[in-house]
Amino acid sequence: MNLFGVMDVSASALQAERVRAEVVASNMANAETTRTADGGPYQRHHVVFEAEGGGSFQQTMANQLGGVGASSGLNGFSGGLLGSGVTAAQTVPGGVAVTGVISDASAPLRRYDPQHPDAGPDGFVDYPDINPLTEMVDLMGATRSYGMNASAVQAEKNMVGSSLDLLK
Amino acid sequence: MQVATPLSDALGRYLDLTSEQMKLAASNMANVDTPGFKTQGFDFEQEFARQLQGGADAVDLAQAQEVDGLVARPDGNNVSMDREGMQLAKSQLQFRMGVELLKHEFSSVMSAIHAEAK
Repeated sequence: MNLFGVMDVSASALQAERVRAEVVASNMANAETTRTADGGPYQRHHVVFEAEGGGSFQQTMANQLGGVGASSGLNGFSGGLLGSGVTAAQTVPGGVAVTGVISDASAPLRRYDPQHPDAGPDGFVDYPDINPLTEMVDLMGATRSYGMNASAVQAEKNMVGSSLDLLK
Repeated sequence: MQVATPLSDALGRYLDLTSEQMKLAASNMANVDTPGFKTQGFDFEQEFARQLQGGADAVDLAQAQEVDGLVARPDGNNVSMDREGMQLAKSQLQFRMGVELLKHEFSSVMSAIHAEAK
């Protein structure tokens, strides 16, 4: 872990929570959508979060410490970084990643509306099974988690600032 | 006694690179609504190692390239405000660290200058 290790962990969480909020917004926007590219009504989407780095904290820590000791060849820079392109998609040990967005397979809500262009022969229209309350609570959760991780970043910035003050 | 040491030279390059990184983060933020704009960036460690190996002769500034691994919006723009904000905060702290170390490096010279007054 380097000086900004904690910030990278919080950054991955900020990104993941933003994706979660985007998916909730998309669910609410499509609460009445009866037509999609693959036919049928819109299906509610969920995000799947996964802990990054694998293994326990101790294991990750040991790997990190071992890695620094082993790769101090070239001016103390780790050799693995050299020669690779610029990428934003790196795994952060201890961070969180969005592994996928899955769609809910629950049955659609059926409402009787024979005038609707997407009504079946029996006059029923299939609507997505989206509950505004569930979505709003999920959105609140995402917003609060985002704020929480933003506070963690602020705390980490203060920590780095105080360690810099030690130099004075 | 020499005022410039190898460490102060390296710190100067470090400060140059961090301000370059700050400039890139600011330019990415400025283009958050530009259709088709791709996030620009460079690999800090790699660039710093290259500059240090370049020695005393002037090495050209960091070449910014497109950052991959970001999700593009429908208009082709892939700027992530989270990433840029974090990058800006990180660069500011890195810059401060460089300045503090440089101040520390020059403090011995400063005390030599002020030695007469004591």
